[in-house]
Amino acid sequence: MSMATIEGQAAPPPAEVQSFTVTLLIRRFDPEKDTEPYWQDFDVEMYPTDRVLDALHKIKWEQDGSLTFRRSCAHGICGSDAMRINGRNRLACKTLIKDLDITKPIYVEAIKGLPLEKDLIVDMEPFFESYRQIQPFLIASSKPEKERIQTVAQRERFDDTTKCILCAACTSSCPVFWTDGQYFGPAAIVNAHRFIFDSRDEGSQVRLDILNDKEGVWRCRTTFNCSEACPRGIQVTKAIQEVKQAILRGGNA
Amino acid sequence: MNAIERRISTTVLVIGTGGSGLRAAIEVAEQGVDVLAVGKRPRHDAHTSLAAGGINAALGTMDEEDSWQQHAADTIQEGYLLSNPHTVEIVTKGAEQGIRDLERWGMPFARENDGRISQRFFGAHTYRRTAFAGDYTGLEIQRTLVNRTEQLDIPILDTVYITRILVRDNVVFGAYGFDLIDGTRYLIHADAVILAAGGHNRIWRRTSSRRDENTGDSFRLAVEAGGRLRDPELVQFHPSGIIEPENAAGTLISEAARGEGGILRNALGERFMERYDPERMELSTRDRVALAAYTEIKEGRGTEKGGVLLDVSHLPRETIMTRLPRVYQTMMELQMLDITQQPIEIAPTAHYSMGGVWVRPEDHSTDVDGLYAIGEASNGLHGANRLGGNSLIELLVFGRIVGQAAVAHASGLEAQLRSADAVAFARQEIDSLLAADGTENVRALQRAIRNTMTEHAGVVRDEEGLTAGLVALDEIEARMGDIGIHPDIAGFQDLAHAFDLKASLLAARATVEAARERRETRGAHNRSDYPDLDPSLQVNLVWSPSTGVTREEVPPVPAEIAALMRDVDVTGKLVE
Repeated sequence: MSMATIEGQAAPPPAEVQSFTVTLLIRRFDPEKDTEPYWQDFDVEMYPTDRVLDALHKIKWEQDGSLTFRRSCAHGICGSDAMRINGRNRLACKTLIKDLDITKPIYVEAIKGLPLEKDLIVDMEPFFESYRQIQPFLIASSKPEKERIQTVAQRERFDDTTKCILCAACTSSCPVFWTDGQYFGPAAIVNAHRFIFDSRDEGSQVRLDILNDKEGVWRCRTTFNCSEACPRGIQVTKAIQEVKQAILRGGNA
Repeated sequence: MNAIERRISTTVLVIGTGGSGLRAAIEVAEQGVDVLAVGKRPRHDAHTSLAAGGINAALGTMDEEDSWQQHAADTIQEGYLLSNPHTVEIVTKGAEQGIRDLERWGMPFARENDGRISQRFFGAHTYRRTAFAGDYTGLEIQRTLVNRTEQLDIPILDTVYITRILVRDNVVFGAYGFDLIDGTRYLIHADAVILAAGGHNRIWRRTSSRRDENTGDSFRLAVEAGGRLRDPELVQFHPSGIIEPENAAGTLISEAARGEGGILRNALGERFMERYDPERMELSTRDRVALAAYTEIKEGRGTEKGGVLLDVSHLPRETIMTRLPRVYQTMMELQMLDITQQPIEIAPTAHYSMGGVWVRPEDHSTDVDGLYAIGEASNGLHGANRLGGNSLIELLVFGRIVGQAAVAHASGLEAQLRSADAVAFARQEIDSLLAADGTENVRALQRAIRNTMTEHAGVVRDEEGLTAGLVALDEIEARMGDIGIHPDIAGFQDLAHAFDLKASLLAARATVEAARERRETRGAHNRSDYPDLDPSLQVNLVWSPSTGVTREEVPPVPAEIAALMRDVDVTGKLVE
């Protein structure tokens, strides 16, 4: 007899947890067939601990294989599955079904302000273009013998903005970004903040000059949509304000 | 189906965009040489990003007595003498440079008040030498490397699945693959190829790898190119993966939970570590705790769902919230369980491939000229039990070395000799799978492999079970002759899964055959029929499909390192 282990048995779903039927209204668009996006409804059996991403998977695997969305890590790290759920930008993998009002249909659509490609997928290239423009890497010329010194307080100064996962939930919730898509947007500014306020970095002035542009920080109208949308809880609006202040101080982050 | 075949030429091709692949690509680019990195998942989502605990280097800034020699001694000791001492020496000596590189590129390491990079204790280390960034160290490393690749404008393809490494007369000339979204074929010519596509721990049922990752791809690609594997049977099982929900089974509960004072109990309420390691109790090493938990479950003292209980609810709430925030959050999200009130149900979980593609310690070159392997795909550092925090530093050290070696190889070539036959074979391999219209489901067969490995080659193994496992793998292979592949409108995942399956089968066979030959208990490899360590088996086991398992001597440990080897007291130290 071999070493049978418990791992060989699939754990049955616990009997005491009740499943229920949820209706999802998903905004569909196939550029090869449709001229306009339209809403399509799906009913799925879900458990309270399931997430919106689980519901989308269930639809894709069991009802309509053509449903198209991005996802990868499924636990809120990779930033692939930001979408508009009941009118709010969230990550599908972090949104529990039980936290939504399931007496009504759940509305799911692509994030706004970026070109719609198919169903829940938008073209992220303009978003990443802004991100690249602010030079999201450490610019430092000094050659320390050992490591660069950084105090706990200095490290803490930019901790909040290291958490960004580039999901675009903030940028695509910003009404200024919606108007013409020219504004750098919150995510690019957050990533600039991460380096501007890193005591080891010497490229602050370059980034501040870039963000002092007419499409830069001054277009922010402090609506706080971005802070509310951020799935990582970054205080986005605050970070933008801090960058504004740094520009006013003449670059002294 | 997209009929176009993209043809690309580069100097160095890197397969895999996790920490090791990106680090190697950066090294190549910094030398001004063309490099292309390809991966089968987004670079932001590589497995490296899941590593929590930390990265080791004997910086000596916290404990100035520390030295690379002591780090090496701890590594070899913990690896039950199967680590290659040259590999260990290279990594431990180069570790400081690895940390410097990360720091230079902006890695936000946690700091001490006076500004030094902070270092903490991990299990079985003599001194504090683990640098970290919260409990997101791997994620921050991955981000730092991604930022650096942006800065260097390194081209990266996030959706290309490599199906075959192209070889002529035992010299590499590129690789072949396809796009996961639209099926476009890729013929990539390169002077050197670096294989950084992970290990094989997803071939067990409960694993800390997510779907589609660590499916043994590196093993298959290397072996079919003409390489061999070393010690595939040595797989680290993490003591604490969660059991539910099914789709998140294997998600790890950090060992910090035990480090902070968590208590392990069986279903009878007994604190069972008293029976296995009364001195160190819950702070015992990973292999021992995993074996203890496994034994409790196996002998019927586990929970109904087949686990044991890890309890931190006696700790002050404040401690849990500040020291174990990620565990608290994970359990809240996945099970709606409040760990300040209730114990966590856990079981041993396949976690890390200590074995891998056979490489030379100096430059991680393989049996095939111009082909290199790094990271979890390779082997040599960890022996029979990996020391926490060592895998991340290995990526940084060997990424750098292999990047340089690949450039040197390319510089020394007088011509890149290609083979039309090899390319035709690679094309044909995909064509025939796409035409496969049988009744067997690829995912079901993958599950059959995972069940087989779990049942016959899990935490504890024996001759009879391993032999039965080989028979089961034969049956699965026969069924693979009748698979059906159906790429759909949403992409070519089904085709990728078919290649994952081929890889997993090869990795499984190598693992079971080597596990059968290792008739002893050593580190993570437990044989119930050979419960003791056998000094005559202090060898590496090398596997290839044509030769089966052969033995290879482990070089002697240099005296300056051997003198420092001793059991390390882990009392009061965080383990990860």
